[in-house]
Amino acid sequence: MFNYYIKLAFNSFKRNPILTGLMITAIALGIGASMTTITVNYLMSADPIPEKSSQLFHVQVDSWDPNHGFNDEPNTPPNQLTWTDATNLMSAKKAFRQTAMAKSGAIIQPSSPDINPFEASIRLAFKDFFPMFNVPFKYGNGWDQQADDDRQLVVVLSKEINDKVFAGENSVGNSIVIFGQSFRVIGVLDAWQPLPKFYDVNNGAFDEPEDLFMPFYLKQELELPNWGNTNCWKTPEGEGFTAFLQSECINFQMWVELKTPQDKQAYMSFLNNYVNDQKELGRFPRPLNNQLLNVMQWMDDQDVVADDAQIMMWLSFMFLVVCLLNTIGLQLAKFSAKSGEIGLRRAVGATKRDLFMQYTVETGAVGFAGGLFGLVLALLGLIGIRQLYGEVLNDLASLDLTMIALALVLSLLASICAGLYPTWRACNIAPASQLKSQ
Amino acid sequence: MTDSKSPSFFAENWEIGPIFRALLRNKVGAMLIALQIAFTMTIVVNAIYIIVERSDKMQRPSGIDEANSFYISSVGFSHDFNSLVTTQEDLNLIRSLDGVIDAVQINAVPLSGSGWSMSLQTQPGTEFDGTGTAVYMIDEHGLNSLDVALVAGENFSPTDIQTRQSSQTHWPDKVIITLAMANRLFPDEGLAALGKTVYINDIEPMIITGIVDQLQAPWVGWDNVENVMLTPEIRDAKSSRYFVRTKPGQRDRVMNEVESQLAKSNSGRILRDMRSVEGTRLRAYRDNSAMISILVTVMTILVIVTGLGIVGLASFSVNQRKKQIGTRRALGASQLSIVRYFMLENFLISSAGVVIGAALTIVLNIVLVDAFSLDPIAWYYIPLGMVALWLVGQLAVFGPARKAANIAPALATRSV
Amino acid sequence: MLTMKDIKKIYRTDSIETHALRDFNLHVNEGDFVAVTGPSGSGKTTFLNIAGLLETFEEGRFELDGVDISHQNDAARSRLRNQKIGFVFQSFNLIPDLNLFDNVDVPLRYRGFSRQERKKRIEHNLEMVGLGNRMKHLPAQLSGGQQQRVAIARALAGEPRFLLADEPTGNLDSSMAQSVMALLKDINANGTTIIMVTHDAGLATQANRNIHVSDGKVSEKAMSLSPEAAQFKPSQHKRVVGLSE
Repeated sequence: MFNYYIKLAFNSFKRNPILTGLMITAIALGIGASMTTITVNYLMSADPIPEKSSQLFHVQVDSWDPNHGFNDEPNTPPNQLTWTDATNLMSAKKAFRQTAMAKSGAIIQPSSPDINPFEASIRLAFKDFFPMFNVPFKYGNGWDQQADDDRQLVVVLSKEINDKVFAGENSVGNSIVIFGQSFRVIGVLDAWQPLPKFYDVNNGAFDEPEDLFMPFYLKQELELPNWGNTNCWKTPEGEGFTAFLQSECINFQMWVELKTPQDKQAYMSFLNNYVNDQKELGRFPRPLNNQLLNVMQWMDDQDVVADDAQIMMWLSFMFLVVCLLNTIGLQLAKFSAKSGEIGLRRAVGATKRDLFMQYTVETGAVGFAGGLFGLVLALLGLIGIRQLYGEVLNDLASLDLTMIALALVLSLLASICAGLYPTWRACNIAPASQLKSQ
Repeated sequence: MTDSKSPSFFAENWEIGPIFRALLRNKVGAMLIALQIAFTMTIVVNAIYIIVERSDKMQRPSGIDEANSFYISSVGFSHDFNSLVTTQEDLNLIRSLDGVIDAVQINAVPLSGSGWSMSLQTQPGTEFDGTGTAVYMIDEHGLNSLDVALVAGENFSPTDIQTRQSSQTHWPDKVIITLAMANRLFPDEGLAALGKTVYINDIEPMIITGIVDQLQAPWVGWDNVENVMLTPEIRDAKSSRYFVRTKPGQRDRVMNEVESQLAKSNSGRILRDMRSVEGTRLRAYRDNSAMISILVTVMTILVIVTGLGIVGLASFSVNQRKKQIGTRRALGASQLSIVRYFMLENFLISSAGVVIGAALTIVLNIVLVDAFSLDPIAWYYIPLGMVALWLVGQLAVFGPARKAANIAPALATRSV
Repeated sequence: MLTMKDIKKIYRTDSIETHALRDFNLHVNEGDFVAVTGPSGSGKTTFLNIAGLLETFEEGRFELDGVDISHQNDAARSRLRNQKIGFVFQSFNLIPDLNLFDNVDVPLRYRGFSRQERKKRIEHNLEMVGLGNRMKHLPAQLSGGQQQRVAIARALAGEPRFLLADEPTGNLDSSMAQSVMALLKDINANGTTIIMVTHDAGLATQANRNIHVSDGKVSEKAMSLSPEAAQFKPSQHKRVVGLSE
């Protein structure tokens, strides 16, 4: 019977090619627009580390100005830490894993004369950075506690830098001149691009990870420059690099891994105790306002999904509604023209259920065709978005299987819903009514 | 009895009542078109509003000679690299090149998105609030390089220029600010702010020695983008940025020349991030222009979909009503009456649509204002949107209506 | 009143030319009740369409109520149809989405009457055909005979000089057909000239003049025009009709 309905559906398309074409195009445009924007939003709001995003917490303590909060409304703590707090909290080692971080940059002078010196970005971190964030290694490993404590000149290279400087070979054990210092390569990352770049969204939530990774204290040891946002509510006391590190300026991030809610609670009370101790020393003039947000909470707090992307998504949903209204209207018109045929089918014994099936198959087929066409349009839409936004959205504009399945299901559902009322009306035509007056 | 020549032109005979009553017999079909028009209007009006808002933002001038300016960074790495000497040599070299109007070392560039900000206050002391401002550090060539005009006071003199170390916290005692900044610090005083003292780092005094007409901060999304201060400083840092203004039409040639000359002059540094200000503007407003392109595309497609939907349904209803149209023609309807019938029918449906659309437009705008802190829509967008959608409907239905008017009156006598 | 002289009508398709009317001549006097009969394809519908200004013709001369039709454009012909001609169709041609009141209103709107005038005429004519109490009903709620009477009311509301009826009883059973015929005769008696196309010879005999169309030409069967009939003047809205269902 299903095959028969499919055949009838095709006959119907052939009889009304323009109406059918309009319906398929309308659904395709609606699905295309929605899928394009849903995909962008879906990728922007994706969980970058689903296996443990609820166990990783971003550490915030309110070290800000007594007269003004970091944000007025709501009164959230600063989004970064001071050097003092970052190093104190690291020394306390109260979490299962922890890493303070900073962004910096330096010139690499490759030993090969064929490669010109170039500037590279640096992520300063602690040894836990790699296991905490499940960072994949191609060669070698991260550094150990000793390297952190002794401020060893060791470096982990990104895959791109290893490709560039060492032609993709296993460079572990080689030396490389960075910031005028000779570093030892101890590891090379495999391709790694968390989306969003959750561990440091302040400096571009969809940026590439850094080129180089090295022990955090080298910031102080080599006086590496501050990259990324630096905010101060109070002028450093004195001049020079040390004065900056001792100031209330924030340029550092910190993440901790806490396995259970109890661990989180314990860490929170540790933070509160720490801040109270600091108050004794004359710091932290504001009321206690510390925050531990897990990955997804932090993404939400930082509005990682761009407003524009959301506006576009809601507008495209309304667009889909228009396309569906369009389809309902056209379907209604098409079915109303068939009242004679329906009356005849009823007269020769078709039940309402038979007719309902027949017309649902017909609307479903329109939806499926619209969905396929819509997927093509969504691909074009994503290419368009990539062109418009440039490299920023390069990785955020690709369709995966989930999205393809969603598009087809959405278009089928949408078209069948759009067909429900016309189908219901068609099925309720009395068997006799249409035979007589013709 | 007497008949006027074109009696059917009287509104009384425009069949509004019968058309309306006939529409009520087919409520669902009419409602579907009305809703489609309503949603289309909602999207189109809000989209146009966002587009206008964004393009207004993009129209704002940065205050610099965008077409003829570029910048380039130099980062020293060799052990014997001397920042100050290199900077002075580089600037001398650039300024001597043919086609260059002037060049300056600067810490940040308008439109570039990264820079420094400080806070200035009119009374000393931590208890007083300050006004946020972007900082550009320049020497006496700065104003000429940036192409900003003094409206009060004077330019920095070579003796004003101080050397600034990285991590230095104190500031020179002279400052040039924008007129907008002057008005923020000293409301309603404008140019009278010249010569007054402002305080940086809560207590350090600076004297306003000049006021320039207009210059934007580096962050185009910042609410106080017109708040700018210029300080007489040359930075002693391994990383140095040069801002160059060229004679009209010479920018691209000068860019190539600057890059190659600087590369030749010193091998202990790398050059990076050479960009024209025009390119920087494109990057700064890329999100806005992308949003505009997307909204324009969506709007256009949407209007086409709605228009085609109306065309489709109207053609269909013309086909369904062929006999009726023939009968009307037989009963004396002119072709004009038939066209008018379908136009009027569409007008009535559209009217319902645009009224619902006006309400939905306001609702969506309230949601957008609420969720995304857009500004509320200006009232006149609503009537304009209504008229636009009326026109779309009338245009869409005109074709099918013409087709209907061409139906032969003799169809009335043809048996089914 | 109506004069057709040497009317020629040709239907053309890509390959075939059909001479629907050839040298068609006819004169109808005011007050006539003419029945037009003829086999299928004889050209009687074509004649009706031309007489009703629904179609144009290739050659010949056609005068209606003193107006030369040959040179009238579409708008002028529409106006003439509206003012001078009333139509009654075989399948009634009521507009299904309009109630009886609005159906009768259709030609009056094109006529440009004032609201009060239209209302008066609609109510008067619907009452005349015995449906004055069902003005808000839709056509689908009526029987075929009632629908045809609405159509007649619609045709008469503008007080036309001519009534053209195309198989007015073709879709009706015999008792309904009889009552519709009686109504038409009554209307004719009140001065309206009627031309009725029918294939029913029995009905045709009830007219006072019969013409037969075959092969696109007229052949008059009987001449039964009574001189008195021509004396009738159109009445002033005073028609006495006593019809039963």
